[in-house]
Amino acid sequence: MTAIETADLTKEFGSLCAVDSLNLNIDGEIFGLLGPNGSGKTTTVLMLTTLIRQTRGSASVCGYDTLKEPDKVRGCLSYVPQDMAVDTNLTGRENMLIFARLYGIDNPKDKVDELLGVMDLSGRADDLAKTYSGGMRRRLELAEALVHEPEVIFLDEPTLGLDVSARKKIWQYIHNLNKKGMTIFVTTHYMDEAEKFCDRVGIIDNGKITALGSPAELKAGLMSDVITVRIEGEYHPVNKDGILYVGNSGDEYSYTSENGSEALPVLADALKISGNNVMAMSIHEPSLDDVFLQSVGKQEEEQGFEEWKYRLMLRRR
Amino acid sequence: MKGVLTYMHRDFIRWIRYRVGVVSALVLPAAWLIFVGLALPVQFTGNYLDFITPGILVMTILTAGISSGSLLMFDKILGFLNKFLAMPVPRESILVSKILFITVRGILQTTIILIIAVLIGATILNPLQYGLIYLILFLFGVFIAAFSTTVALYLNDHDSFAAFTAMVTMPLFFTSSALMPYDVMPEWLSMIAHVNPLSFAIDAIREIGTGAIPIFPIALLMLFAGVILILAGHMFRKLTV
Ligand SMILES: Nc1ncnc2c1ncn2[C@@H]1O[C@H](COP(=O)(O)OP(=O)(O)O)[C@@H](O)[C@H]1O
Ligand SMILES: [Mg+2]
Repeated sequence: MTAIETADLTKEFGSLCAVDSLNLNIDGEIFGLLGPNGSGKTTTVLMLTTLIRQTRGSASVCGYDTLKEPDKVRGCLSYVPQDMAVDTNLTGRENMLIFARLYGIDNPKDKVDELLGVMDLSGRADDLAKTYSGGMRRRLELAEALVHEPEVIFLDEPTLGLDVSARKKIWQYIHNLNKKGMTIFVTTHYMDEAEKFCDRVGIIDNGKITALGSPAELKAGLMSDVITVRIEGEYHPVNKDGILYVGNSGDEYSYTSENGSEALPVLADALKISGNNVMAMSIHEPSLDDVFLQSVGKQEEEQGFEEWKYRLMLRRR
Repeated sequence: MKGVLTYMHRDFIRWIRYRVGVVSALVLPAAWLIFVGLALPVQFTGNYLDFITPGILVMTILTAGISSGSLLMFDKILGFLNKFLAMPVPRESILVSKILFITVRGILQTTIILIIAVLIGATILNPLQYGLIYLILFLFGVFIAAFSTTVALYLNDHDSFAAFTAMVTMPLFFTSSALMPYDVMPEWLSMIAHVNPLSFAIDAIREIGTGAIPIFPIALLMLFAGVILILAGHMFRKLTV
């Protein structure tokens, strides 16, 4: 039985296709759905957690169809929404107890104590949640989601708006849960986090999955170095052997090459000759950000990408 | 059922933590009663306090019940509703809990009014009569709370809903039989008052005061409450998948 399975899962809002033919198989891993704002992450999570109905296609969680057996689906998952929803006039413990009672746990008090401990909230358990930091509220929500020991847990942008150390901490907890056998479906628009902490990621843009695989696999689609160039004014494309254009984000244009430090001066000259106003250049190892640029480019220009891939293959030989 | 109680418990804690809300909920109706019942120099009937108390009771339930919709709406806006809907608790228990919580809270307020009414000179009734009064208030509370929730689910926007409650509450009260008997009303008012659901509950409570048992109004209130409840349930299901 696969924890999460979707077949052509599609959601349309009027003429807008928010999620377009999603085909996913997720089991026992930390799966990151990665994409910019408005790309369809939340909509996907809402369909999988039985909160909205898909327009087409099907989805199952823990082997139960989300439309045919929604009660069973809800019985084996937990959902932590994007916008924090914690009763701030209640203490952390009171918040937890409500969830434990709703889930019908046998010993709600003990379970709550245990989970507050797991999430390092024991010391503040009897303070009102309004005195908690953003990171603590998130951890409280995670603790709430764990009371019934779900098989699958959906986290919609769990680190949104948190500072760096709080974000790291959340990811540590997620990692620990996964080690205990829980399947984690997490969405984020922080590429660096997904790269570090997810076993597998799906990059989603405009409702379509444009890349799917482990971060390492995805990065292997690029050459060993990525050169990012900041160009002011109009961009004039260049074409140099051994250097491939990846894509751009704003005024930052990325290229990939097997040997970045040799390619950099060549690229700099070529760009200047073509009339570009180069402001800065840097070399780094491929990251998911670059994979994202690449996959968006692929979507925009299907034909061009085929050629791109072909040329990449030639370079590698 | 356990879900309903837990949801009610949650709303109850949230309510008592919000102290200003508690004080205003308990003091306001009492102030109304004392002001209208004692201070206003009107004399339609022998004991105006006995006459006005049912009106204040029903008005209190009305203002309490009409807020039921915003309770659900805030849970929706703040994201709690989605969290609850993704849980294996029967979904309708959220709706039922809101309606029950609001009604029970209204009943609590009316108890204070009943006590104060007696303290300042209203006639003391027998336990059966009080029981029937509570039954009517409860049914009317469920009716109003379910109605408010249905409207809130339909409007699906807090500002419009707030405008709606403001628009409905006061006119409903002033065009009911709460403040004066039908025979001293102008004809147009008397006509409106006769079909106003508020008068319905008020008249039934007054009947109890005279020693009668208003079986027909109680049955009708049950029917109304039942129909609106089903309607609210329908709206709720439509909105949640
Ligand atoms: N209820 C809705 N009605 C209409 N459009 C919606 C609704 N929910 C989401 N959308 C649209 O669907 C797209 C995807 O949204 P969403 O899934 O929230 O993206 P993300 O979570 O990745 O930021 C957006 O363009 C958004 O405006
Ligand atoms: Mg989102």
